[in-house]
Amino acid sequence: MTMLMSRRDCFSLAAASTLASTLPSLVAKAAAAPSSPYRAMVGIFLFGGNDGWNMVVPTDSARYSAYSSARRAPIVLPQTSLVPLNGSSFGLHPKLRSLRPIWDDGAMSIVLNTGTLSQPLTKAEYIAGGSRYPTGLMSHSDEQAHWQGLRPRASNPDGFMGRLTDRNYSSEVSSLISFGGGSLAMIGQTSAPLVLPPTGIVSPAGLSGNPADPIVFARSAALNAFASGSGLGTITRETALSMGSAYAQIGTANAILANTSIVDQYFVSPSTGTPLSSDVANQLLRTARMIEARGVLGHARQTFFVSQGGYDTHAAQAAAQAALYSDLSDALLGFYRAIAALGVVENVTAFTMSDFGRSYRGNAQDGTDHAWGNNQLVIGGSLYPKQVHGKYPSQVMGGDDDISGDGRFIPTISQEEYLGGIAKWHGVLDGDMPYVFPDWSVWSQNGRVPVPLLRS
Amino acid sequence: MNLADAARLAKQATFGPRADLVTYISMVGADQWISEQFARTDSTYSDLTDPLPLDYCKDYTCFRARRTREQVAMRFYRNAVSSADQLRQRVALALSELMVTSMQKTDDAAGMAAFQQVLLSKAFGNYRDVLYAVTRSGYMGNYLDLADNNKSMPSENYAREMLQLFTMGPFKLNIDGTPQRGGGGAAIDNYNSQDITGLSRALTGWTYSHINNGSVTDYYSRDYTKPMVPLAWFYDSGAKSFLGYTVPAGASQTASLDAAIDAAFYNPSTPPHVARHFIQQLVTSNPSPAYVARVAASFINNGANVRGDMKAIVRAILLDEEARRTAALQETSGKVKEPILFLASIARALNMNTDGRVFQDWDDSLGEPVFFSPSVFNFYPPDYPLRNNPGLVSPASKLLTTGQIVLRSKLSYAWTINATSPRGEFAVKLNTANASGTSVDWSQWEAFGSDFDAMVSRMDLILLNNTMTDPQRTALRSSWETIVDVDPRLQARKRAAALLYIIFSSPQFQVDR
Repeated sequence: MTMLMSRRDCFSLAAASTLASTLPSLVAKAAAAPSSPYRAMVGIFLFGGNDGWNMVVPTDSARYSAYSSARRAPIVLPQTSLVPLNGSSFGLHPKLRSLRPIWDDGAMSIVLNTGTLSQPLTKAEYIAGGSRYPTGLMSHSDEQAHWQGLRPRASNPDGFMGRLTDRNYSSEVSSLISFGGGSLAMIGQTSAPLVLPPTGIVSPAGLSGNPADPIVFARSAALNAFASGSGLGTITRETALSMGSAYAQIGTANAILANTSIVDQYFVSPSTGTPLSSDVANQLLRTARMIEARGVLGHARQTFFVSQGGYDTHAAQAAAQAALYSDLSDALLGFYRAIAALGVVENVTAFTMSDFGRSYRGNAQDGTDHAWGNNQLVIGGSLYPKQVHGKYPSQVMGGDDDISGDGRFIPTISQEEYLGGIAKWHGVLDGDMPYVFPDWSVWSQNGRVPVPLLRS
Repeated sequence: MNLADAARLAKQATFGPRADLVTYISMVGADQWISEQFARTDSTYSDLTDPLPLDYCKDYTCFRARRTREQVAMRFYRNAVSSADQLRQRVALALSELMVTSMQKTDDAAGMAAFQQVLLSKAFGNYRDVLYAVTRSGYMGNYLDLADNNKSMPSENYAREMLQLFTMGPFKLNIDGTPQRGGGGAAIDNYNSQDITGLSRALTGWTYSHINNGSVTDYYSRDYTKPMVPLAWFYDSGAKSFLGYTVPAGASQTASLDAAIDAAFYNPSTPPHVARHFIQQLVTSNPSPAYVARVAASFINNGANVRGDMKAIVRAILLDEEARRTAALQETSGKVKEPILFLASIARALNMNTDGRVFQDWDDSLGEPVFFSPSVFNFYPPDYPLRNNPGLVSPASKLLTTGQIVLRSKLSYAWTINATSPRGEFAVKLNTANASGTSVDWSQWEAFGSDFDAMVSRMDLILLNNTMTDPQRTALRSSWETIVDVDPRLQARKRAAALLYIIFSSPQFQVDR
C-alpha cells in the first residue's frame, strides 16, 4: 500500500498523538469567520419537563390567589417566599434567589407559556383536532425531539443547533460544544459536535511516544489500517468518521480544559463561598472555559448545549424541584459572573428549554403530570432589561387555555418565536432561517414575529 | 453453520463470541443452540433479594452494598462474562432497557435484584406475564409512582410510560412497524388524554408489601422486592374507559388491573413496537419493515395460537434471514455496540475471570451504568439519528460522544497492553461482598506462540467475524513483529495484547454486523 494522505488519515487515531502536543500551531487555524462581533448561545435543557408554573409565579393578588387555589396545597409556594422580580408582577421560586442579581442588572428575561406548536392554536381548534398540533404531546421523547428538532409533526433526523452550525463556519475544533451529553439538538446535517464530560480529562492512551520508535510507528500504521471503516456498511463508516473527528479534537480541547482559569473562581456558592459541585455547574464552568478560549479555538460563533435532569416530578415535587433550582441558579449566577469577568456578557445569551410544562393542579402524590405550555428564562447582557414576555394563561381549570380539566395550557408563543430571535442575534442569516427552523414560514407571517428579547 | 456465521450469531445472542462457543454453535447449528439456551438458568440474583429495613445500614460498607448498584451490577457483569445462559441474559438486558427501572431514583439494591430476577426468570415466558409482574413490582411501583397511586387525583406516570414504552408506543403502527399516517402525512396518536386518565384510575389502589408487619405508612419497612398489595381505599371503583375497554363501576381492583394490562398487551401496535425493540437490541438498528413484520407476526401467534410467547419472538429474530444470511446483509445493517456489550465482549475475548466490580469503574463514564439509567427512557433512544444519513437511526451512537470515543480507546489499551501484568484496578475491592477481583487468562493467546497467522485468524473470527482485510492483516503483522521479549510466552502475550488493542479500538469491532 502506498501512503496516500487522505482525509481519514488526517483524522486518524494515530494522528491525535501529534495533535495533543502541538496546540500552539492550531491557534491560527481558524477558517474564515464572520466579521461581526463574537457571539455565543447557550441552550440549557431541563430534562423531564420543568414545572415552570412554580418557577415563575404571579405576585399580583388576583392571580396569586388563583394560583394558590388552583394548585394542590403541597406544591403551592407561599407568596412571601417568592423572589421578587422588581418592576414586574412576577416572582421566582425561592430556590432561584441567586438569579435576583442578574435580574437587577437587567440581564434576565422571562418568557411565559411557550411551547411546541405547528400553527397558532385556539382551544376550539385543538378540540377539532386533526393536523393542527404536534404529534405525541405529553410524551417526553417526542416533545424533547420537537424542542430540539423543531419539526413538531414529523420525525427529526437533526436538531436546530446542529443545523445552525451547518450554516456557520468550520474550524479544527467544533464550535458546537456540549458538556452535557450527546443530544438531538446538536446533530447537524454536516457539522459534528465536540461532546466532553463535565469533569475530568479523557486522554487517549497508547498514542503517545516517539514516532521514531518502531513499535509506536507500526502501531499507528495498524490503527490507520482500520480507521476508515469502509466496506462494512453505513453505520461502521459513520462510526469511523465520528472516531476520527473525536481524535482530531481531543488534544486541543484537553489542553484548554486541563488548565486553571480565571472563570473558575466564580463557580462558588453565593452563601458559603465553597466551589459548586453540581453537574450543571460543572457544565457551565466548562462552557465558560471554552468561551474564554474562543480566540485560541478560532471561534467567532459558539453554540453550547447544557443539560440538567430530574424534572419529571410526578411525586413529592417540592423537595426535588427545590434541590434542582438551587443547583441551577447557583450555576447560572456563576456563569453570569464568569462571562462578565471575561468581558463578554453582551456577547452571550443563555436560555432554558424543557420537554413540556406540567399540570397546573397537580396530583394526589404531591407531584404534577405532563402538560404543554411552559415558562422559560433567558440570561445575557444584550437583553432588553427586566422584561416579561408573553401572556400568562387563564387560571380557570378547563378554561379557554386548558386542554384538560387540570391545567395543561396551550402555548401562546411557539418555540420558533422563542428561539428565532436568539438565533438571528447569534448570526443566522434571514435566508438560512427556513433551514434552521423548518416551520419558519408559519411563524414569520400573519403578524407572528420572534419574541423581542434582544437589543441588537 | 460455518464459523463466521456462528461468530455472528454469538455477537447477536451472547455477550461476545469465544472460540469454544463459536465452535460449538457451528457444530450444533443455530436452531439447536437456541433451544439449548432456552433451557439454561445459570444466572441468578435471588441471593441478593433479602429485604431489610431501609434504615438498616449504619456504615458506608453496608450502604454501598444495600443502597448502591454495586452488588447487583457486579452480579450482572460476572454473569455476562462467565455464565452459560447467555441468551437468557441478553434478552433480560433487552427487557431491562425496555421496562426501565433505575437505582438513580429507587436506591434499594435488593429491590433492583428482585426486579432483574423477574426479567431473567420470565425472559423466555410470555410477554403478558412479564408486563403483569413488572406492573405489580414494588420496585417499579416506586420508580414510576404506581405505589400509593390515589383515586383522589391519580398520577399518570406509570399509565403513560406503560403505553408509550413497554407496549404500544405513542403512534399507531402497521404490523411492519411503520407508522400509520393521518392528515398531512403525520403519525396518528395511539391514545389521548382521556385514555391516560381512565387507565390511571384503573391503576389506583396498590401499595408496597411491608416487612416485619410494618404498617402501610411506615417508610422504612417498605419491601421493594415483593409484588405490591391492594390498598382498598386508594382504589377508584367507579366506571372507567380507556383504549376501547370499559371497566364497569364496582369492578374489583384486580379486574381493573387485568383490563389495563390487556388493553396494552392486545393493542395492535404492541407486537411491532416490541418486536422492533428486540431486533434493535439483538441484531440491527435499522431492520427492514418486512423483518419487523415477521417478528411481530410471531408475537401475535407463536404457531399454537399463543400471543406474546417470548421464545417464539426470540427465535423469529435470530433465525430470520436478515439476522442469519450473510447474503441478506444490507448497506444499512448493523448496530453500534452499546457500552455494556463493548466491555463484556472484550472481557470475554480476554477470558477474564471476574467478580464484575471493575466494569463499574468504566460503564458510567462510557454512558451506560447498568441499572442506573438517567430516566425510564433508557440510556439512549431507539430513534437516535445516524448523522449524515436521514432516515437511519443508530441508538447507541448517542453514547459515542467525543469523550466516550476516546475513552473506549483508552479502555482498549488499559485492558490489553496495560494488562499483560496485574493491574491495580483488577485487585480485590476492599470491604465489598462477593469480591474476588479480576484477572485476564492469557493462555488462549499465548498458545499461538510465534504463529502470527493462527493468532490473527482467531481474532478475526471471534472479534470481526472474518471481515479483516489483507491490508489490515499486513499492518497487524508489522506491528506484531516489532514486539519482542526474551520470554517466548511473554512475547506471545504482548503481541496478542498489541493486536487486541488495535482491534478493540476499531470501528469494525465496535459495530456488530
